[in-house]
Amino acid sequence: MKQTEKPPKSKKTLAQKLNTEKAAGYVFILPFIIGFLAFMAVPMALSFGFSFTRYNILESPVFIGIENYMTMFTKDAKFWKVFGVTMYYVFCSVPLRLIMALAVAMLLVRGTKASGFYRAVYYLPSIMGSSVAVAILWKRMFSGDGVINTMLQAIGIPCSTAWLGRSDTAIWTLIILAVWQFGSSMLIFLSGLKQIPVNLYEAAIMDGAGGFQKFFKITLPMLTPSIFFNLINQLITGFMAFTQSYIITQGGPRDSTRFYAVYMYQNSFTYNKLGYGCAMAWFMILVIGLLTFILFKSQNKWVYYESEG
Amino acid sequence: MKKKLLAGSLAAVMAAAAFAGCSQGAQTKTAKEPAKKSETEVNLTRSGDEKVTLSFCWWGNQTRNDLTKKAVDLYMSNNPNVEIKVEFTDWTGYWDKLSAMAAGGNLPDIMQQDYGYLGSYQSSGQLADLSEFIDSGVIDTEKINKSVIDSSTIDGKCYGISSGVTALMMDYDKAIVEEAGVTIPQQMTFDELYDISQEIYDKTGARTYFDGGMNTLKYMARVNGSSLFEDINAGDDTSVKEHFALVEKFAQAEFAISPDVLAEKNPYVVETKPINDGTTWNDFSYCNQYISICSAAGRELGITMYPTVEGKDTKPMYLQPAAFLSVAETSRNKEEAAKFINWFINSVECNEILMAERGMPVNTDVSEAIKPKADPVAQVVFDYVAEVNTVAGSVDPPEPEGRAEVDDLCNSIVENLRYGDITVEEATESFMTDAKRILDEAAK
Repeated sequence: MKQTEKPPKSKKTLAQKLNTEKAAGYVFILPFIIGFLAFMAVPMALSFGFSFTRYNILESPVFIGIENYMTMFTKDAKFWKVFGVTMYYVFCSVPLRLIMALAVAMLLVRGTKASGFYRAVYYLPSIMGSSVAVAILWKRMFSGDGVINTMLQAIGIPCSTAWLGRSDTAIWTLIILAVWQFGSSMLIFLSGLKQIPVNLYEAAIMDGAGGFQKFFKITLPMLTPSIFFNLINQLITGFMAFTQSYIITQGGPRDSTRFYAVYMYQNSFTYNKLGYGCAMAWFMILVIGLLTFILFKSQNKWVYYESEG
Repeated sequence: MKKKLLAGSLAAVMAAAAFAGCSQGAQTKTAKEPAKKSETEVNLTRSGDEKVTLSFCWWGNQTRNDLTKKAVDLYMSNNPNVEIKVEFTDWTGYWDKLSAMAAGGNLPDIMQQDYGYLGSYQSSGQLADLSEFIDSGVIDTEKINKSVIDSSTIDGKCYGISSGVTALMMDYDKAIVEEAGVTIPQQMTFDELYDISQEIYDKTGARTYFDGGMNTLKYMARVNGSSLFEDINAGDDTSVKEHFALVEKFAQAEFAISPDVLAEKNPYVVETKPINDGTTWNDFSYCNQYISICSAAGRELGITMYPTVEGKDTKPMYLQPAAFLSVAETSRNKEEAAKFINWFINSVECNEILMAERGMPVNTDVSEAIKPKADPVAQVVFDYVAEVNTVAGSVDPPEPEGRAEVDDLCNSIVENLRYGDITVEEATESFMTDAKRILDEAAK
């Protein structure tokens, strides 16, 4: 790749070139490098630059120093409200989703004939999860005359709450939606569960351990690497939540479901304050980076890697 | 992993390119055509010409989308060398999308513009000057009232042609009103509306919706003989306070639709309006939407003017351009786009399809021609516009930049008022301070 002289089209030279380990390596990572530069590095650098400007998209950006950040932290009351809502959503939905995923994975790990089918079925919501169609479905289900209330009425609970219209319940409909999409974490747990050596359980049974003890003393500790991975993954996905809020509740009622990503989008494209939007993006990166860092640091306190003995 | 978030947050930037993709059809060079030819003649001379692709974006609703697509198809069959790619969204999504397109330099050749946005798109050089096409006769304005062209003329250049005029209205369910045995006057006062609402609720159980949004707030300023944005800049909170007091009064009333239900049945989207299923007996909107609202509600509704305040001799009702058709400065087929606009505005065959859904046609010949053919629903709009015309004051000046954020600010304060979180005084104060800050920032 890096040779300057163009060799003639001799099969041997070409083969030789491609055969060097270095060349092969570069060729293999090229698609990623191009993608990374074009779709991440450059836009990231631009966005960092824009975060110090007043940029209304239609005209060229004007440098204003840290004014966007100052507005964000000191003047924009909605910013903190939105930040709080997002934190609440993340800290409620992520643990619940992981518990759900683990519970279902435990059920599916026993290989029955149908478990392949169930795995597919339970994974399905994760694929469709952030789609507009599901968002609209959710909206209909939780409306005052929707399926949820009809079902509650059928079992004798007279309920006609507009779930999405109340600021205390609206956020929970979105959390339930997030929990429902446990599929990808479930798959990771499944493979984690399968890697736990059977002899550990056998030994435990010999020692007279019950189901609970097996779970807390063997399964859970052995699964901590999967839990750790899922936790970080889901944390980041959680902070990026957008579609649910944008389509189902439009952020309302009373901003109780206005997620950070939605407010960032509104600032950027509805209010034409792209500079401010970029500043918000960078603050979010900082927060997520910090949380991830803390999680990584805490790793040696609770994550158990077998190889380390 | 962190980069994953970035990818998401910066997808914004990419989205610009992606969204804009639609508008970047295979554009070929403009067919050179002398202006002003009859349609058949144009067809003949063009049949062998190169294909021209135009993109056309608008905001709308189901009815508008269906009608406009039908009209565009007709134009394409009349002009086989022209292909028009259409795209549409609802109001909110439209402006997000359009600004992203503008950022990418990919605005559609023909776009629907609004009175509130025209100014900022013009000042940033995104819109093509249509005056040259008007002068050359590509766009025929002979039968269009000069004030219509003036409304989109900035510094002597015209940046859009209004597709029709519209006016604020309150629509209502005739059956419910009849059942309650009340008559709805041509224009009532807010107090009368309150009493009528109570009576209807007592007799039928139907609730009342009161629009607390910017339309009513701006209207309230007009009732007081002022204009909202001037009030904000001058720090005059009279109209704002009166408006929020009314919102609170109508929200606390026994007959009010509860804020929970309102959050769910969003009255700003035609398809979810609470009047559709009879939750409320009334609704507020612009009269060009009347046709779509009737179609979404599945019945013919009554129509009356926005309420007013007793003893005011101001003229709060007004006619305003419903939407403009503008051409992007970046368009490579400006003349073809102008030809389409000319047809869209001036041809009877097109407006027979559109039937005043974008407001009453501005071409007087066209509106006369389609009026007899209008179905009873469209007829109501025609009559209503004529009626408003007799009492209309002049339209407010174009709105300043930052209006989208002030819109949202107003909605969120009104929501808090409806839930009873804040008092009228707090609402007024927070609106005045924040709106001023937003406008000042946007004006920088």
